[in-house]
Amino acid sequence: MSHEQLKGHLDLLLLSVLAGQPQHGYAVINALRDRSQGRFDLPEGTIYPALHRLEARGLVQSRWAEGAGRRRRIYQLTGAGAAALAERRQQWTTFAAGVEAVVRWAV
Amino acid sequence: MTGPRTIDGYLDQLLVELYGRARDVRRILAEVEDHLRDATDEAIAAGMDPSQAEAAAIERFGSPRVVARRFGATLPVPGPAVLGELVRSLAGLAAIGLLAIGLSGVVAMGMRATLGASFVAGDLPGVTYTRERCADFFEYHPEAGSCAAAATAHHADEVESYRLAAGVLGTLLGVAWLWDRRRRRTRGKPDRIGALPEGFAATCGLALFGAAGALLALQSIGLMLGTGASHGAGQWLSGAVVSLAMAVACGGLVLRTIRTRAALPG
Repeated sequence: MSHEQLKGHLDLLLLSVLAGQPQHGYAVINALRDRSQGRFDLPEGTIYPALHRLEARGLVQSRWAEGAGRRRRIYQLTGAGAAALAERRQQWTTFAAGVEAVVRWAV
Repeated sequence: MTGPRTIDGYLDQLLVELYGRARDVRRILAEVEDHLRDATDEAIAAGMDPSQAEAAAIERFGSPRVVARRFGATLPVPGPAVLGELVRSLAGLAAIGLLAIGLSGVVAMGMRATLGASFVAGDLPGVTYTRERCADFFEYHPEAGSCAAAATAHHADEVESYRLAAGVLGTLLGVAWLWDRRRRRTRGKPDRIGALPEGFAATCGLALFGAAGALLALQSIGLMLGTGASHGAGQWLSGAVVSLAMAVACGGLVLRTIRTRAALPG
C-alpha cells in the first residue's frame, strides 16, 4: 500500500496498536507490519515523530523502562487517547462502509 | 545508498540536523539508537552480515535529514530561532535575486552584441536631449555618429553595468550565506529547524520570479508591438528571460518538495 494512502490514517493505526498494551517504538512498528500482514511497511523513521506528535497532543504518554540490558521508551495510551481512538475508529468504520457501498457496484 | 552506513555515523548526522531543547534531542537520539540496534540485532539473528544489517536498518529508517524534519514539526521552536531561519532564508533568496539581475545584465550584453544597442536601450520615439546632455553622452561615446546614438550607447552601458553590479553584490551575499551555512554546520547547527514550511524560499522565489517575468515580458512585448524593436525592449526582455527561467527552476524545487512530502505518511 502506498504511503499516500496511509496519509491521515497513521494516528488511528498507532493508537490502535497501543490500545492493547504499552509498547516501545520498535514493537509498535513490528505490530503495524505484522497486523497488516506486511501491507504497512512504512519508513521506520516516520513512526517516532508521529508518536511524539500524539504525545504532544496528550493522546499517548511515554516513560523510560529498563529491559534486556537496554533502556527503552515505552508508549501508552492516555484516557484522551482511548477516547480519540474510539471516535476515530467510529469515523473510519462509517467511512469504510460508505466506500464499500459505492465500490461494490463498480464493474 | 548514500549517507551514513553505521549507526554512530547516522546518529552524528541526525544530531547535526536536529534542532530543539537538549532534553528533546537527547531523547530522540536515544530512541533512534535503540531502534537501529534492535533492527540490526534482528537482522543479524536472521543470518545477515553485521555491517549489512546495520546499513539495512539505517536505510529502512530513512535519511537523517528527512527524519529530523519530521521530528522538527513536533518540537517547540523559540521565537528568535524562527526569526533567524526567516532571515537566512530571505538572505539566500535575495542573493539569488541579485545574481539573477546580474545574469540579466549578461543577457542584455549578448542582445546588444547581436541585435544592437537600440534594441536594449533605445529611447522611445520623440525623446530629445539638450545640447549639454548630448555633450555628456559624447564624452562617454565619442565614436557615436549622433546624439541619439551616443545616448542609446550610454543607456545600454547603464543597463549592463548596474545589473552586473547587482550580480557582484549577489555573489558577495551568496558567499556570505554559504559561509554562514558552513559555520553553522561546523558548529553542529542544522540548516533548517523546521520553523518555516518546507519549500518556503522556493515558493517565494516562484511567486516573485514568476510575477517579475510576466510583467517584464508584457512590457517588452508591448514595446515591440507598439513602437518596434529598436526602442529599448531588450532591457525588459533580458530580465523576463532570466526571471522566467528562475521561476521554472523554483517551480521544480517546489514540485520536488511536494512530491517528497507526499511520499511520507502521517
